[in-house]
Amino acid sequence: MTKCLTWIATAALGAFSATAAVAEYPERPITMIVAYSAGGGTDIAARTLAPFLEKYLGNDASITVVNRPGAGGEVGFTALANAEADGYTIGFINTPNLLTIPIQRDTRYTLEDIQPVANIVYDPGAFSVLPDAGIENLDQLVEYARVNPGKVTYGTTGIGSDDHLAALAFERQAGVEFQHVPFDGNADVRAAVLGGHIMMASMNVSETIPDADEGTLVLLGQMAEERWEGAPETPTFQEQGYDIVMGSNRSLGAPAGIPDEALQKLSAAAEATMQDPEFIAAAEEQDLALSFRNADQFSQDLQNLQQRYEELWEEQPWIDE
Amino acid sequence: MDILANIAAAAPLVFSLDVIVAMILGTAVGIGVGALPGLSATMGIAVLIPLTFTMSPLVALGMIAGIYNGAMYGGSIPAILLRIPGTPAGIATVFDGHEMAKQGRARTALRISLVSSAIGSGVSAVALLLVAPPLAAVALKFSPADYFWLALFGMTTIAVLLSDNPAKGFISACFGLVVGMVGIDSMTGTERFTFDQINLLSGVNIIVLLTGLYAIPPAIDLLLGRANLDTSGLTFGGKKERIDWSSFIPVWIRASVIGLFIGLIPALGGNVAALLAWNEQRRVSRSENYSKGAPDGLAAPECANNADTAATLIPALTLGVPGNAVAAVILGAMLVHGLRPGPELFRDNAPTVYGFMLTMLITSGLMYVIGSLGARAFINVLRLPPLLLGPMILALTTVGVYAVQNSMFDVWLMLGFGLIGFGMERLNIPTAPAVLAVILGPMAEASLRRALRISGGDYEYLFSSPISLILVGLIILALLTPIIRRLMARRRAQGADSRSAP
Repeated sequence: MTKCLTWIATAALGAFSATAAVAEYPERPITMIVAYSAGGGTDIAARTLAPFLEKYLGNDASITVVNRPGAGGEVGFTALANAEADGYTIGFINTPNLLTIPIQRDTRYTLEDIQPVANIVYDPGAFSVLPDAGIENLDQLVEYARVNPGKVTYGTTGIGSDDHLAALAFERQAGVEFQHVPFDGNADVRAAVLGGHIMMASMNVSETIPDADEGTLVLLGQMAEERWEGAPETPTFQEQGYDIVMGSNRSLGAPAGIPDEALQKLSAAAEATMQDPEFIAAAEEQDLALSFRNADQFSQDLQNLQQRYEELWEEQPWIDE
Repeated sequence: MDILANIAAAAPLVFSLDVIVAMILGTAVGIGVGALPGLSATMGIAVLIPLTFTMSPLVALGMIAGIYNGAMYGGSIPAILLRIPGTPAGIATVFDGHEMAKQGRARTALRISLVSSAIGSGVSAVALLLVAPPLAAVALKFSPADYFWLALFGMTTIAVLLSDNPAKGFISACFGLVVGMVGIDSMTGTERFTFDQINLLSGVNIIVLLTGLYAIPPAIDLLLGRANLDTSGLTFGGKKERIDWSSFIPVWIRASVIGLFIGLIPALGGNVAALLAWNEQRRVSRSENYSKGAPDGLAAPECANNADTAATLIPALTLGVPGNAVAAVILGAMLVHGLRPGPELFRDNAPTVYGFMLTMLITSGLMYVIGSLGARAFINVLRLPPLLLGPMILALTTVGVYAVQNSMFDVWLMLGFGLIGFGMERLNIPTAPAVLAVILGPMAEASLRRALRISGGDYEYLFSSPISLILVGLIILALLTPIIRRLMARRRAQGADSRSAP
């Protein structure tokens, strides 16, 4: 009897380990860390993406979004970088914060600790003013700033944000000086520029386009290499003779060293999601500027970006030390 | 009458079975979320958003409206019964509401709070429905200079709160100001009082501080067997205390106007509305009973924090400018359903928007019904043995505070503030000035520095707008009123003395 039981147990164990070896990623729930508060832009993008990723990962995959907000994203990025690299913890990573935070202060993560999986959104920066300012393009803006030194006040979502870095780069190229007024969030910048309390908003183009379409703000230019299809009539900064390409990425990342199988599957699922008409429609409703880059391309992008930010910091640190 | 036609078109959509069920559910959940310390409407709605993906927009929005209204009222239940504000907006409810409970009038207090909340929500929803576009313009008028004066005006409340012992009150306010400074300075990016601790870089979350200072000391008291509640008056029987509702009408009018106005201005929330309404009520009425259990002192903040709810949605829906965290989350939920806030929302999706605004009105009525039904259950909390209630409060606050940012650090921080709060109470140092300072201090500082950046360092800018000048006038008035009143009282007393002397 005992022998019989042992046999059955051994057989069962054998069968179990056999399935375990064959079992494919993902065989248990995946946690997706979002470094910003629930209900914010990144959070909603992540929660919109998650069900599609589940669908294309197959295997009854399930993804749980966990918000770890704080310190401009550093809390969440650190949690992601230090998570076990087994493919069951992934996260949203946002530039420029992911890259600029380690430049401006000591952090417990570096870019090397994070494996880029795929880029989902690239939202170029943009400048906008009220229609009654009488300014329609960047040259006019520069002209105005030359004649009225110190009069161009611009709002951003904070020190070291892509909006702020973009304006710093523009000031240097155009040889003019603006007055920076940092706010706590995008909504505050928008309210301040619409109320006429600041002259210009430096916000991402997706955040500006609803007002531009409505005629309440004039878009002076977008900082993309090519015009975003959501704003086809707004010329880029390069078209207007200012070599500035800046914006913010929202991307998928994982701890460095995750199994290759998991990385490939995640990247493929992201690619399939971005071609899903249902996802594209959802993204359009939220004004998400989709831009897919696979793991290799996006890793390269991040290296290049990091180098640019380091140079910018060398020339002109955006925080007084 | 464009608006009425729109309302008529939206009504049949709202009065469908699924929307009604959603509103009832939302309101009940909202009251629960608000009543639990640490959990707030913002979080309730944020958690709900992914669940609404598959619902029709109006079902989702009806549920959201219920949560928003319900949570504003729910926050006052523990504030009255246990002196623990369930949400930051419940802070001013503690002043008089809990005193009433201590006097055995908890049941009356809950009724006053519920009726005042429902009226505040109703007024606010009607304003949202009928006059949203013209009111929305106010939201954009506020410059950083105006915000600065508004924050200072709010801080005059502190001066009032510390009247018994100014030195101890100032200690508390300074403690709050220092706590408010923690984190990355948003104007320069410099770290202040962060001790190389990444969890402090974003500053101290107001919910963590509030829960620590307010929820932990009563829990410790309960465990030490030192609870000072009078539960004798809680027996349910035929004798309900008669309430003269008509005497509250002027209170409600004032509080609704304050709540509406504060709701319109971005970045201010129900907590500021409630505090200002309480302070204004105290100023207008000459009674000395405030913070000693005055029913008016309970009705005013309760009405004001609910009048703030739909008003916040006015700039949010018409301009896409969310006035507070809840409105921002609601905008997020709307985007998910393809409803982009702004003028085009009213053009393209009128039935849904008007439907949403109607649900704000209907849920304020539902809140009254569900709140009345629940009152009996809520009040039983006070009958729990202290040795059971104490650990329950500790467990609930721990879960609630953890859930705010999924952070254990916040839990320890909350417990730390709890010990500080317990010590402050032992030393008779009031905790309210500290909370006020944490809410208003950073706002005053950031807006002053923003204003000076805009003006290039020119202080005249602070006095350049009519709104600023009005606020400066109000501050002077608020500070001088008690002095003038005291002088007059003294003169009268002297006059009486001299007359009585032969």
